[in-house]
Amino acid sequence: MFDHVEAFYRPSTIPEALRFLAKGHGRGRFVAGGTHVVVQADRSIRFLVDITRLGLDYVRQGSRACVVGATTTMAGIENSPAMLALANGILATAASTSGSVQERNMATVGGDLANASPAADIATPLLALDAVVVVADARGRRKIPLADFFSGPHRTVLGRALLVEIVVPAPPRGGRVGWSFQKLGRTESDISVVNVAAGLQVDLRGCCRWTRIALGAVGPTPLRARTAESRLVGQRFDRDVLERVCDAVAREVRPITDLRASAEYRRQMSLVLTRRALEECAARGGCPL
Amino acid sequence: MNANRSVVGKNLRKLDGFKLVTGRPAFTDDIHIPGLLYGKILPSPHAHARIKRIDTRKAKDLRGVHAVLTYKDVPRVPHTTAGQSWPEPSPYDTYLLDSKMRFVGDRVAAVAAESRAIAEEALRLIEVEYEILPSILEIEQAMADGAPVIHDEPDSTGIHDAQTNLAGYILREIGNVEDGFRESDLVVEREFRTQRQQHCPLEPHITISWLDSDDRLVIRSSTQVPYHTRRQVAMILQISVQRVHVVKPRIGGGFGGKQEMLLEDICGALVLATRRPVKIEYTREEEFYMARSRHPQILNIKMGVKRDGTLMANKMTVLATTGAYGSHANTVQGNTGSKVLPLYRTPNMRFECHVVYTNTPVAGAFRGYGCPQGFFAQESVIDEIAQELGMDPVELRKKNMIRLGDIDDLSAQLGEGRKGLPRHVRSCGLPECLERGAAAIEWAVKRQTLPQTTGHLRRGVGVACSMQGSGIAGVDWASALLKLNEDGSFNLQVGAADLGTGADTVLGQIAAETLGVTLDKMIVCSGDTDFTPFDVGAYASSTTIISGGAVKKASEKVRDHLLRIASKMLDIPVDNLTCRDNQVVTKCECEKSVSMEDLAHYAMYKEKVQVMENASHWNTDSPPPFCAQFAEVEVDTETGQIRVVHLVTAVDLGVAINPMQAEGQSEGAVAQSLGYALTEEMVLDASGRVINPSFLDYKMLSAKDMPKLTTILVETEEPLGPYGAKSVSEIPINAPAPAVANAIYHAIGVRFRRLPIRPEDVLPALREKELPSPQRS
Amino acid sequence: MKTMQVCLNVNGESKEWSIAPGDLLLDVLRREGYFGVKRGCEAGECGSCTVLVNGKPINSCLMFAAQAEGREVLTIEGVEQGGKLDPLQEAFLEYGAVQCGYCTPGMILSAKALLVKHPDPTEAEVRDALAGNFCRCTGYLKPVEAVLAAARIYRQVGPSGARPRAKHRSALHGKKR
Repeated sequence: MFDHVEAFYRPSTIPEALRFLAKGHGRGRFVAGGTHVVVQADRSIRFLVDITRLGLDYVRQGSRACVVGATTTMAGIENSPAMLALANGILATAASTSGSVQERNMATVGGDLANASPAADIATPLLALDAVVVVADARGRRKIPLADFFSGPHRTVLGRALLVEIVVPAPPRGGRVGWSFQKLGRTESDISVVNVAAGLQVDLRGCCRWTRIALGAVGPTPLRARTAESRLVGQRFDRDVLERVCDAVAREVRPITDLRASAEYRRQMSLVLTRRALEECAARGGCPL
Repeated sequence: MNANRSVVGKNLRKLDGFKLVTGRPAFTDDIHIPGLLYGKILPSPHAHARIKRIDTRKAKDLRGVHAVLTYKDVPRVPHTTAGQSWPEPSPYDTYLLDSKMRFVGDRVAAVAAESRAIAEEALRLIEVEYEILPSILEIEQAMADGAPVIHDEPDSTGIHDAQTNLAGYILREIGNVEDGFRESDLVVEREFRTQRQQHCPLEPHITISWLDSDDRLVIRSSTQVPYHTRRQVAMILQISVQRVHVVKPRIGGGFGGKQEMLLEDICGALVLATRRPVKIEYTREEEFYMARSRHPQILNIKMGVKRDGTLMANKMTVLATTGAYGSHANTVQGNTGSKVLPLYRTPNMRFECHVVYTNTPVAGAFRGYGCPQGFFAQESVIDEIAQELGMDPVELRKKNMIRLGDIDDLSAQLGEGRKGLPRHVRSCGLPECLERGAAAIEWAVKRQTLPQTTGHLRRGVGVACSMQGSGIAGVDWASALLKLNEDGSFNLQVGAADLGTGADTVLGQIAAETLGVTLDKMIVCSGDTDFTPFDVGAYASSTTIISGGAVKKASEKVRDHLLRIASKMLDIPVDNLTCRDNQVVTKCECEKSVSMEDLAHYAMYKEKVQVMENASHWNTDSPPPFCAQFAEVEVDTETGQIRVVHLVTAVDLGVAINPMQAEGQSEGAVAQSLGYALTEEMVLDASGRVINPSFLDYKMLSAKDMPKLTTILVETEEPLGPYGAKSVSEIPINAPAPAVANAIYHAIGVRFRRLPIRPEDVLPALREKELPSPQRS
Repeated sequence: MKTMQVCLNVNGESKEWSIAPGDLLLDVLRREGYFGVKRGCEAGECGSCTVLVNGKPINSCLMFAAQAEGREVLTIEGVEQGGKLDPLQEAFLEYGAVQCGYCTPGMILSAKALLVKHPDPTEAEVRDALAGNFCRCTGYLKPVEAVLAAARIYRQVGPSGARPRAKHRSALHGKKR
C-alpha cells in the first residue's frame, strides 16, 4: 500500500519534524497513530514523518486551562485523572467510545482533529469546551479556536503546520454546572451516527446562565448549535424551554443521508440526544428536571 | 446420554486447539514459498458490460509481471462455482474469464507479479474499453418485459430460462392450498424481504498453488470442499484430475462461503501460465465485492387456520436473486421450501419460487442455506396468527408442529435440485426444546408482565422455531481410513473438511469411543485429496452424521481386527473381548488384557499385518435437528434502537458428541443471526457497487453487542446418526431473527417484515401506530 | 526499493530488520515468520493482527514498522513461556473458546493486556477489551468465560503461569457452570 514511500523520518523535535515535512514538497505526511493515514492509503505519499517522538503525549492540568498534547492517545485521555475530573469527564467518555481498545491505543487526539471527520467523537466535547488548538509552522506557533479550525468534511485550516496541543480552558465555575456526552451508533463500538456534548450552568433561581451545545455527524464539520444555546441562556430551565431548545437544535443541524443513517433520522436524534444531554447536565449539576 | 461412554459426550479439548492458541503456522498463508508470485484479479467496474477491447501490453511490460490473463488466454468451459456433488444441480453459467461482465466485481483479467504492489500496478495498466449494457439491480425488474438478458451466451447449460433471467424455478404442492384456505377460519397473508448478508470469515478466501516436482498442480486453499474443487479445477483447466492435489490446511471460518470454487481455478491458471507458485488472497474489500452472500428474497406467505389453531394451508411464494451467477440458486431456494414449511403439519402446502439473475454480487451457500429467510417469514406469520386467535404463540406451535413418526413428503418433492427422499422423523425433541426454552426465558411470567415500560424503554419476549437437515439424503457421502501405529495410536484420515467447526475432534471422538481408546491416541488428517479418502466436504450439516458415520464404520472394522489379533495373543475367544482404556480386555472376570501398544507390536512384527480399514457411508434420509429460540428485547422508543437482552436457544441435535463444541456452534450461529436481524446488510448503490465493503460500515456484532446467551442442548437418540448424533452447526441461525421480530412486536406492537430491522424504521412505525395497550397472551 | 533499519524487541529478543520505509508492522512480522499475526481486514477493524506494543494492544496493520523502533512487541508466539501455555491459552482450550482459531491470537493478546493491568475484571470490562477482536465463530460467550477463568489464575499465580498445569485446570473450573 505504501510501496512508493521513499523515507520514513523519526524526528525528536518540532522544528525537525517541520523541516522533514517541508522536504517532502507536498508529498510528505505526518503520522502518529496511523488510524487515518494508513486507512486512507493515499498513494501520492512519498515521505512519512513520525510525530510520536516529539514529546507531545501529555495532559497538563493548569489553573486556567488543561493542555493536551497532540499525540496523546484516546486511551491516554480516557485514563487521565485530569480528563476524568474535567467537565464530568466528557472528554474521557468520548475518548472511551472512539472505537476499540486497539484503536484507542493508537488514535491520537491531534490526529483525530486533523482528520476532521464530521463524526469524530472527541471533537464534539472539545468544541463544547471552547478548546483552542495550538499549531506550529516555520513561522512559529499560533492559536486557532477549534470552532474555526474545521473548514469542511475532512478539511481544516491546518495546511502544512503541525498541530502541537489542544488547550481546554477551565469551564465556568459557580452555580450549578453539569456536562454530558451522548452518542448513538449502530453498534456499541461504532463511528457516531450522531453525538452531542453539552454543558449547562444554572443559577440559584433556576435560570440558565451559560450553556454549550455541540453536535457531531450532523453537518460538514462538528458544530455548535448557537441559536439553540441563545434560546436557553437567561431562561428558566424547565421542560418547555428544554423542548424549545431541542427543537431549535433539530432545525439548526445540517445532516446528510448516507448509509449509516438518513438526514431525517439524524435530525430527530439530534433532538433526542440534546434532550438527554441537557437532562444529564442538569442532573449532574444538581438541579434535575 | 449414555454413562458408559468415555469419549463421546465429553467436553474434550479440540485436537487442533494447541496450535491455534499458540499461533503455530497452520493456515493457508502461513508458509513461505521461494519464488512466490502474487495474483490479482481486475474487477469489473460495471454491473453489466461487454469488453470491446482489452489491451494488456503495458501491464505485461511492467517489470516483475509474469502473466496477464484475459478471456482470450484461457479455455472457455462452462461450469458452476458451487461446491456440490457431480452432477451439480446449479447451472453451468460461469467461465474462468469471460468477455462479458455481469456484476461490479466480475473478473476482467488476472495478473501474477513478483509483489502485491506490482500486481496492483499491473491492474491499473490494463486498458479496457467497455460497451456498457443496461443492468438489472432490483429483483422485481429481472423478469420484466424487455429486461436485458444477463446470460445471453449460447454455451451455458442448466439455466431454467435464460431469456427471462430465470436461473431456477420450483413449484411443489401437496394437497390443494386453495381448498385449505376455504376451510380456514382465518387466513393471513404477508410479504417479507430479506437482505444480502455476508459470511465475513475472519480469514478471507485465499489460495496458494504451485507445480510440484512431478508437475502436478498443488492447490493449498481455504476451502470447505477439497474434493469438489479438485474435480472442478481439473475440468476448467482441462487437465486430468490425476494432476491436481488439493490441500486444506486450517481454515479461518467458512460458513458456506468456502463451499465454492472461488479462487482455485484462476490461481491454477496463473500457475500453469507462469510455472511459478502463485498466491491469491482477497482483501476484505474484494471479499465483499467478489465472494458470495446470502440470497436476498421477497417472500409472500399465506397461511390458513381453523379457529382452534389447526393449520389448514401454508402457501409460500418466493422471488429470490442469485446475483449474476446461479451458484446454489436452485438448492438454496429449494431448502426455503423443503425445510421450512414441513415444520408444521399442514394438509395443504404449496411452495413456488422464482430465482432470478440480477447484475449484483453472486449469492451462494450460507449457513442455514435458505432457511433463515423462510423461517423469518413463516415464524412471523405464525406469531401473528397466534395473536389473532388469542393463543399463546408457544401453544399454537406445539399444536401444529411435526412429531416423532411423521413422514414429511414435501422434502421428497424438493430434493437437492432433483427428486428427493421422504423425511421420516425418527427423533424429535422439539416439544422439550419449547418447554425448556420457555422456562429459561421465563416465558409464562414475561408474557404476562411485559411489555413493561421504563421511561422510553419497552421490553418484550418472542419465540420462533426451526428445523434443518443432517446431510443431503441420498447425495452426501463420506469415507474414512483408519490405521494402527505401533505405539497404539491411530491415523484417522478423512476427506471431511474441518473449517474451524471442530470436525476433526468430533470425528476423532467417534473413532476413539469405538476403539476404546483416549482421544489423544488419534492423529487426524483431513481434507487432502492425495492422503485422505473422498468426502463431499463440509456443508449441509453433514460432517458429524455422514463423515462420522464413515468413521464409526471404519472404526468398527478396525476394532474387529484388533479383537481377532488379541484373541490370538490372549488365547481367548473374540466374543469375550472388548476394547477399553487403550487396551483389549476380557469381558468376563478372568481379567486378561493386552495394551494397544503391545497389540500393535504383535500385529506389525509377528503377524506382519497393517491393521487398517476404510469405510464409506451415506444415508437415505436427512434427520432433522429441531430448535426453539426465545428472545427478550428492549426497544428505545425515542431512538428506535433495539437491544437484545437475552437469547435462549434450545436445540435438539441428537446426541452431542462434544457438548461444549456443540454449544459453541450454536452461540456462533446466534451471533450471525442477530447481525442478520439488526445490523448486517450489503448495500448497493445505483450502479450496483457495494458501498459498505468494510467492517467499518458492514456491522457485525462484537463482544460488547452480544446479549446474554443461554444454550440448552436437548439430546435425543437418532437411529441414523453415529452414537445418536444429528447436527447442530446450521440450525440455530434460523430462528433468532424471527424471535427478535416477534419480541419487538410484543414490546411495541409493531411488526417488521424487512431485515435488518433498523432503528430508523422503528421510529416511523411507532409514530404511525401510537403505542398500543399492552398485548396479553 | 529504498530500505532502512529498524531495531526492536520481539517476544524478548532483540531484532534488527531491514524494512522498506512504507512497510506496515503486520507485513514485516509475517515476513519474519510470526505467522500468528493474522491478516483480516487491513483497516484496523477486525483485530486479527493484534500485537502488544509496550504492553498495549494495537492493530499491527495500521502501524508502520518503522514506528516500532525501540519498542517491545509481543506476538502470540511469545505468550507461551518455556514451553508452558499461558493461563489464557489453557482457558481458551478448556472453555471451547477456540473454533477456527483465526481471531484467537489477537483475542488472547487483547485479554492478556487487560489481565496484566487489571486481573479482576468484570464481564463488561472483558467484553470491552475484546470488542476490537471480531470473532465470527463463537458468539463471544466462551472467549469471555475463558478470560474470566484465566483471570482467576492471574490473580493466584500471576501471568507467568508458573504452577503445574493440573492445578491450573482445577482452578480454571472454579466457577464453571
